[in-house]
Amino acid sequence: MKTINLLVIRWLWLSAITLFISCDSFLEVELPKTQLTAVVVFQDYHTAEAALTDIYSNLRDSGILCGDGTGISNQLANYADEMVSSENPSNPSISFYTNSLLPSNNYVTGYWNFGYHQIYAANAVIEGAEKSSLTALQKKQLRGEALFIRGLIHFYLVNLFGDIPFVDQTDFKINRTVKRIPTAQVYEKIIADLREASVLLRTSDTDRNRVRPDAIVAKALLARTLLYINAYPEAANEASAVLNQVQTYSLEQPEKVFLRASRETIWQLESGGSGQNTAEGDYFIFTSAPPPYVSLSNSLVSSFSPGDLRKSSWIKGVSDGTTIWYHPYKYKENNPTAESKEYSIVLRLSEQYLIRAEARAWQGDLIGAKEDLNKIRHRAALTDTPALTQKEILDAVFLERKLELFTETGHRFFDLKRTGRLDAELGGMKKGWDSSDSLFPLPQNELSTNPNLRPQNPGY
Amino acid sequence: MNYFSFYKGGKALYCLFFIGFILSFSSSSARNSNRSFSFIFQQHQVQGVITDGNAPLPGVTISVRGRADVNSITDYTGHYSISAGINDTLAVSFIGFKTKLIPVAGRVKVDIDLQYDTTTLQEVRVNAGYYSVKESERTGSIARITSKDIENQPVTNVLATMQGRMAGVSITQTTGVPGGGFDIKIRGQNSLRSGANSPLYIIDGVPYASDPIGSGITNLTFPTLSSPLNSINPNFIESIEVLKDADATSIYGSRGSNGVVLITTKKGKVGKTKFTLTSSTGGGTVTKFMDLMSTSQYLAMRKQAFKNDGLTEYSPWDYDVNGTWDQNRYTDWQKELLGRTAQITDLQGTLSGGSENTQFMLSGSYHSQSTVFPGTFMYKKGGSQFNLNHASDNRKFRLNFSAGVTLQNNDQPSFDFSYDARSLAPNAPRLYNPDGSLNWENSTWTNPLGNLNTEFESKTNDLTAGTAVSYEIIPELIVKANLGYTNLNNSETRIVPSTIYDPAYEVSSERSAIFLNDVKRDSWIAEPQINWKKELGTSTIDILAGATFQSQRSTRLQQSGTGFTSNSLIYDLAAAKVTKVLLSDETLYKYQAFFARVNYKYKQCYILNLTARRDGSSRFGPGKQFANFGAAGLAWLFSNESFFMQNKWLSFGKIRTSYGTTGNDQIGDYQFLDTYSNTGILYNGIPGLAPSRLFNADFGWETNKKLEAALELGFFGDRIFTTVAWYQNRSSNQLAGVPLPGSTGFTSYQANLDAVVQNSGLEFTLRTVNFKGHGFTWTTNLNLTFAENKLLKFPGLESSAYNQQYRIGEPLNIKLLYSFKGVDPQTGLYTFEDLNGDGAVTFPEDRQVAVNLNPQYYGGLQNQFSYKGITLDFLFQFIKQKNRTYPMGTAGMMANQQQRKTDSWSAPGDNAAYQMFSTGYDFPAVMATYSYNESTASVTDASFIRLKNISISYDLPLDLKQTQCRVILQGQNLLTFTKYVDGDPEFTSYGFLPPLKILTAGIQLTF
Repeated sequence: MKTINLLVIRWLWLSAITLFISCDSFLEVELPKTQLTAVVVFQDYHTAEAALTDIYSNLRDSGILCGDGTGISNQLANYADEMVSSENPSNPSISFYTNSLLPSNNYVTGYWNFGYHQIYAANAVIEGAEKSSLTALQKKQLRGEALFIRGLIHFYLVNLFGDIPFVDQTDFKINRTVKRIPTAQVYEKIIADLREASVLLRTSDTDRNRVRPDAIVAKALLARTLLYINAYPEAANEASAVLNQVQTYSLEQPEKVFLRASRETIWQLESGGSGQNTAEGDYFIFTSAPPPYVSLSNSLVSSFSPGDLRKSSWIKGVSDGTTIWYHPYKYKENNPTAESKEYSIVLRLSEQYLIRAEARAWQGDLIGAKEDLNKIRHRAALTDTPALTQKEILDAVFLERKLELFTETGHRFFDLKRTGRLDAELGGMKKGWDSSDSLFPLPQNELSTNPNLRPQNPGY
Repeated sequence: MNYFSFYKGGKALYCLFFIGFILSFSSSSARNSNRSFSFIFQQHQVQGVITDGNAPLPGVTISVRGRADVNSITDYTGHYSISAGINDTLAVSFIGFKTKLIPVAGRVKVDIDLQYDTTTLQEVRVNAGYYSVKESERTGSIARITSKDIENQPVTNVLATMQGRMAGVSITQTTGVPGGGFDIKIRGQNSLRSGANSPLYIIDGVPYASDPIGSGITNLTFPTLSSPLNSINPNFIESIEVLKDADATSIYGSRGSNGVVLITTKKGKVGKTKFTLTSSTGGGTVTKFMDLMSTSQYLAMRKQAFKNDGLTEYSPWDYDVNGTWDQNRYTDWQKELLGRTAQITDLQGTLSGGSENTQFMLSGSYHSQSTVFPGTFMYKKGGSQFNLNHASDNRKFRLNFSAGVTLQNNDQPSFDFSYDARSLAPNAPRLYNPDGSLNWENSTWTNPLGNLNTEFESKTNDLTAGTAVSYEIIPELIVKANLGYTNLNNSETRIVPSTIYDPAYEVSSERSAIFLNDVKRDSWIAEPQINWKKELGTSTIDILAGATFQSQRSTRLQQSGTGFTSNSLIYDLAAAKVTKVLLSDETLYKYQAFFARVNYKYKQCYILNLTARRDGSSRFGPGKQFANFGAAGLAWLFSNESFFMQNKWLSFGKIRTSYGTTGNDQIGDYQFLDTYSNTGILYNGIPGLAPSRLFNADFGWETNKKLEAALELGFFGDRIFTTVAWYQNRSSNQLAGVPLPGSTGFTSYQANLDAVVQNSGLEFTLRTVNFKGHGFTWTTNLNLTFAENKLLKFPGLESSAYNQQYRIGEPLNIKLLYSFKGVDPQTGLYTFEDLNGDGAVTFPEDRQVAVNLNPQYYGGLQNQFSYKGITLDFLFQFIKQKNRTYPMGTAGMMANQQQRKTDSWSAPGDNAAYQMFSTGYDFPAVMATYSYNESTASVTDASFIRLKNISISYDLPLDLKQTQCRVILQGQNLLTFTKYVDGDPEFTSYGFLPPLKILTAGIQLTF
């Protein structure tokens, strides 16, 4: 009996000891098969590039530049005077149309959260590339594109929300308590990012599909940014740098402008998959009246002069027998096609002409301004502008921008805002318009979680 | 096609029944041969009547001592018949009565009177997980319900069966759609992480992962993701024990913080092979609708809104007021969209029996339930459970095997219709055209029934198997091993066919989409244990030591497909033009522990129970993986002291107390790693990689220190039995998904916070036998819980992301709200207190009134009456609480409103309860509505008393010896008394179907 007892006790001790020894190794779990550590990602250029290009799909699918109705192409068109909404009253989109945004609005929160998420991803690429052992050339490319993205998102955020934090690194311990900085300082940082990007990136267009930014893309955005802060000579210079690339870019006939292979496109976001077309086309186009979501406002449709090709090829009317409703018809595909025909365009050449026209007019180069403006008018089968004085020319450019760039990434609203015409143009025609609507409210959750961002923008 | 696979499941079930039948025949023939064999030993039939002194007792087991193969059960008249030798002794036993031994002594008629045994309550063995303990000797806090209560309820979720029946356990149903989930909190919310407050579930010794399955891309029908707990079939459960205090939960260490739910399935009993068949059918309807405006009230509101906004013309799309829609039409949309009766069918069969050495039980069940929505949606569930017990002749070797399989097929609309039912204009058009097609009224509205063409389908297969083997090496020393395996497969699909849209929009199947989510989860566990029990004179020592090795692997695959040549191909992903892999991941969770228990009993009076566990979890980074937990429990059975032994009225008295620590590791896997995940999205020909999270390698266990003291008293032979327990749990080193501002790029990250959350409360239970005798019994059970939740400490709360969520000294479940002042008679707008006096009502400065949304007290009152073959059992559940009213948008927009909003301001000087109507253009009105919904005005009394369950059963007085037939009528949520204004008071989030009121009738046959 005793021996058995002893044996059992020995056996128990032994197994207990083995258990304790095997302890630590049992708990070791291998890395999940579907994840890579950040260090590994930036050891190889292909995976580092994947971390970068993923930001572009994210830009296309969520937040500010998303084309599906939640992005600013649609919402700011409703917020300003380009579109009329017949959305379901429960949809938070309707508050854009009625200019009654609440700080809890999902889409407003989305612009902020997705925006800073995209900025985080860009900063992660910048930091990852810097610490990596990639070649200098590879590092240049990664940093250049990431800086461009960072500048791009901050540009939209500052225009929507006013003073905002400029986030240039990934450490959340710092980013969780960031402070808002004055708009002018935000612009300085955006311009610095874009300038550096235009130096780092290649000038020669190696990307046939124009879906990855190069130096010219950075310059095009730089031209716009400089125009927004009234830096006219520099804006004109950057626009010229783009317009001089005649072997790559040229104006197309109106019906071809928004095609995938358009020579007018400076930068576009590739569609979600082979055969997919743009989310803009999908959302805007309707085939029966009354429209399900949104339609173009009468004030916009009636602004076109007779014979303007843009009215006939970029706008389409649908009738229910008595009333005609219009939808943007820049993108013509609302269904997948055998091969993708259209991508979502972010920057295109005609805007550069209009930037330079405006910048030249402000500098007193009225002839040069008219020359650029007429390029755009001729393409729409219109005659030379009758404008003569500086003010007339500036007004003409302003109107041309409305007709040329409608329902594209919020141009109309931003133009009204930067030229101080919001109250004058919207105050009378929009029932819910209020001066404080020039800025969006900061998301409620943001004010809760980061007291440094308080106070809320006026009026909310 | 979709029904096909389940049809197969159904077939399996019928096979099971068939096998059951065959088995029952085989064993009855075996019994017959046995009988003829036993005649050799000069057997004769003994018969008689068994009574409780007054009335006959049906269902009493009579056996012959020392002869496991011979036994009998009394019929409805209390009559029995058994073959026994003239010198044999009959053993008569029945729950609630003292077992009696009666020598046959050559008689052929033996009538027996049984005495009530009120103290059996103390003898009940309570499952404490790794060990079991006699009710009277337990040192920990354990609540328990048994199959008797579970079987009375026509419900399909195991948590539903516990509602209102256990002190300290608060359960809320989150949706009335079948297959939905429940929210459970055992002794309150311990963790700041909202998803980390679920208890540990253990089925027959095997941990069952309750983490949600399913995905937000496929499941939009429920307010929460699908819960795997629906796979547990209440009908197969023998008992549910909920472990609450440190003494009971510390042995579960890191997983015991939120309590442990132990589920024990039914086992076979020694005796003749029995076959029980239960079938029931019934219906369910919504308990309570909201009071909404009629058409005239609604149109008056709309017209007033236009007037208030200074709009003189209706726009072309104000269809409700501009004459496009019939101004006299009225539809009660709640009745139309939620007013059907859900059909419920339930079928169960059980075969059980066994010899002294081996017992078995095989059960099968099938349940189907349609919905209250329009359309033909159906929830189907079928399963089978097998249990086998074996002991060797010398009782040294024991084996227990149990395995359960559940198949579920849930077919629901993609969206709950509740939202539409409450917001559609009452004069909105009819749903169908005369030809039966959906009416889109010339594209002037979105027909809610477009939703019928979408479909959310969830299929779950679940297997749980557990084996416990033990061997007594030497007397008093037992080695034991628990082995378990679980396997869960869930596949969900949601289709969005082009037919959900107005046909006028000519949306083609090119736009149709399907979303798929597949979850596979399997785990194994091995727990070697050793148990030594020794009696040393007047004391007993019981030592248990063991180890746990557990591993769980989960994989998820989410896909989408869009663009089909035809909608009939929508379920074929290969037919989609564009397919995407939205998520593909695999996680591994490993867990390891050593545990021990020492129980020391002295003179049947003093009991000391020590438990400890050392836990390691792969969810933490290197250096943070291990932690120790332990507890001590002490009980003094003062009624066993000599000075109390003579007491006539006090039959039981115990004081117990416990203190110890438990932990929590519910944070998800790999959170400490800095990684990139594959997004599956191509851009420029490159599949994308995205940062997975903001990583933090430096987080560890959340610890919960639990303290409890309780007094248990039994009076008059335990006819009155009461427990009063006080507890205080403090959860510290909070493991939280700390919310972050969006400027960090993410909305949260994992970390420990130096915050302390305290849950304290008083739990009171009372069981009384009010009347007993003359065949009539009346018992009452009451449980009552007063609970308080408090944030004790949170350094840096002011500057943290939680600064608008919590307040020190207040519960976690508070809302910070504006203080509502009423409607300004001049402006007609809601006004709020300007707390900081800066002249404007602003967030967050003026939204600072903390309102507690935790229940103040809750409980249940159960009464059971039985007279002869009739049993009536009913349970009232009650909760004293506040909750939020249903937030509607700005009144005056094109959506219906609560009827009470008719009392609105319309001209200066009006004193109205609600502000002026607006079409949504008046921003101050929109903003004021928003603030109103975030103000104290949105909080209202949501207390309720509910007839949670009622069950009536009647044993038909059939004159068939071996057959019992019982008729059963069961109801759930039949009556609700509440002051809550917006529908049913039981909900966790707005806009979902409330719990249903269910009534079923059934019949049970045993032979």
